[in-house]
Amino acid sequence: MAATTVTTAHAARTHLGREAGRRKPRDWVGIGLWIALLLSALAWAMPFIFMFLTSVKSKADINALSTWDLPTTFLWANYADAIDTGNLWETGANSLLIALVKVPLGLLLASGAAFALARLRFRHHKVVLGLFVVGSMVPIQVALGPLFNTMLRLDLLDSRAGLILPYLAFGIPYQVFMLYGFFKAIPDELDESARIDGASTFRVFWQICLPLARPALAALFILDFVATWNEYAMATTLLQSQSNWTIPLAVQSFSSQHATDYGSLNAFIIMSAVPVLIVYLMFQRYFVQGAFAGAVKG
Amino acid sequence: MSVIEHKEAPEGSPRRALARQTKPGRRQRGAHRNTFIAALPYLVPTALLYGYFLLYPMLDSVRISFYEWSGFRTQEPTWVGLENYVRLFTGADPVFWKAFQNSVIWVALAVLIPMTLSLLLALALNRKMIGRNLFRSVFYIPAVFASITVAAMWRWIYNPTLGAVNQVLEGIGLDSWTQQWLGNPKIALYSIFVAAVWQGVGFNMVLFLAGLQQVPPELVEAAKLDGARGPQIFRHVTVPALRPTFVVVLILTIINSLKVFDLVVGMTGGGPAQSTQVLALWSYSQSFSNHNFGQGGAVATVLLVISLCLVVPYLIWALKGEED
Repeated sequence: MAATTVTTAHAARTHLGREAGRRKPRDWVGIGLWIALLLSALAWAMPFIFMFLTSVKSKADINALSTWDLPTTFLWANYADAIDTGNLWETGANSLLIALVKVPLGLLLASGAAFALARLRFRHHKVVLGLFVVGSMVPIQVALGPLFNTMLRLDLLDSRAGLILPYLAFGIPYQVFMLYGFFKAIPDELDESARIDGASTFRVFWQICLPLARPALAALFILDFVATWNEYAMATTLLQSQSNWTIPLAVQSFSSQHATDYGSLNAFIIMSAVPVLIVYLMFQRYFVQGAFAGAVKG
Repeated sequence: MSVIEHKEAPEGSPRRALARQTKPGRRQRGAHRNTFIAALPYLVPTALLYGYFLLYPMLDSVRISFYEWSGFRTQEPTWVGLENYVRLFTGADPVFWKAFQNSVIWVALAVLIPMTLSLLLALALNRKMIGRNLFRSVFYIPAVFASITVAAMWRWIYNPTLGAVNQVLEGIGLDSWTQQWLGNPKIALYSIFVAAVWQGVGFNMVLFLAGLQQVPPELVEAAKLDGARGPQIFRHVTVPALRPTFVVVLILTIINSLKVFDLVVGMTGGGPAQSTQVLALWSYSQSFSNHNFGQGGAVATVLLVISLCLVVPYLIWALKGEED
């Protein structure tokens, strides 16, 4: 319904615009649409507003006041409590460490594979590509049982290094697929002339293909950072001791063990998402680009 | 090297000339072998990691599904053949069917509701308007939150006495509508689904927005000149141009529905009375909570087969589509 209104309104506007010259007609459909969007956006933002209001309320306020009321006094102490109870600094440091090792290393590995598949098109390279991509589309829970056994056998259970290895494997398929598309779009003449000048395959990879793929790499870096920061299923399977926990494990534990501590629970949730929010706000356009590449390449 | 097999090699290039002189068949095979050897150093580390930590565990689930095993190192797995599958498919494991049914419901709902919503949002936000970027951000931001965090948020929102949903209902005089949103086995699954819609719509919206950039403006103009009206333009220009995006969003939606795990773990843990159990979680629970890796493997295998039935045809389509 809205779909048709959009295009009608658009058509109507340009049509009128052409006929009426300078005079700007009131675009009633557009205004109605805008109001509808505003209301939906408010509804969408509501959980965040409730969450923030709860995070600064005392227990008494939470019990006595409505969810949408402002607190009698802003109780910022909830945030300090949450940092203590949820062990925010330690779990945050674990998450950050894992993400900062995993993301660049994973991208390097994925670019290598994508380069080999896209630029050195050996026989059946598409089958290999297919094998890589399948992994990004099968639910990871299928692998969790055996993955646990594998890590047990390697004696890497409950360690941050032990989590990074499967995380690397987990991010590779999607990145290989994306970068494959990107590398393939580089004109052949470019590395051909480099080769004629005597450049080795490695130099073609390192000095020609990688720099050209910088926008794709940036987008993947951001997407992968968020995905790694947020990953829960593998972390809960492979990590046990609290000192190794990542942020999602801390959130889940907080929400099940201190579930009645609503103020600090919500404070903790807000703080746990700060890094990804910062990343989102700083690199917004890359999210769109990343999705864009996905939509175009299929 | 790729020049040899590439059609668009410039006519005068020396390699092209070389390729024409030698016998094409032999030349090509040799080139392929050379490129393969050159590709190995770039491919092998990645392939090893991926194979050992992702592909192999996925396939190993199939092997484990033929054994009975508690998962403890002290106990040896015993071969039981198809027994685990017999249990699944003869109804000896009623939770499996509940989980299966819930996963199917989830897929169906996800294809209907968030896909439609996100398409409408994308069409609306494709127009130039005041605050467009702010709107887009508001709808997208839930997608950067961890699912487990979204689950914790919504558990609070659904809290029977203090949560926002029931308080709002009471505030507008609909006291009789208040519910144990996550405690009522009949509606708990749908309550979780609402949280999933809230989180997921933004991402699909961005995909659709990206797809709309692919709609050629010349075509829209041409249609207008030919006297086409809004709905006609939408049906005959926009929809066909969006078709590849539709396929991508559809596949991703189905796959993501099969992957639902964090939200259920965080909001109900599969309860009450297993009413929100889904396949991905049941496989995990069988292995790690019930210490029955064989059963867990069998559920995982079912999930694997379903996923492959969807993914393989899609990949063949996608990879064929971009022929070189």
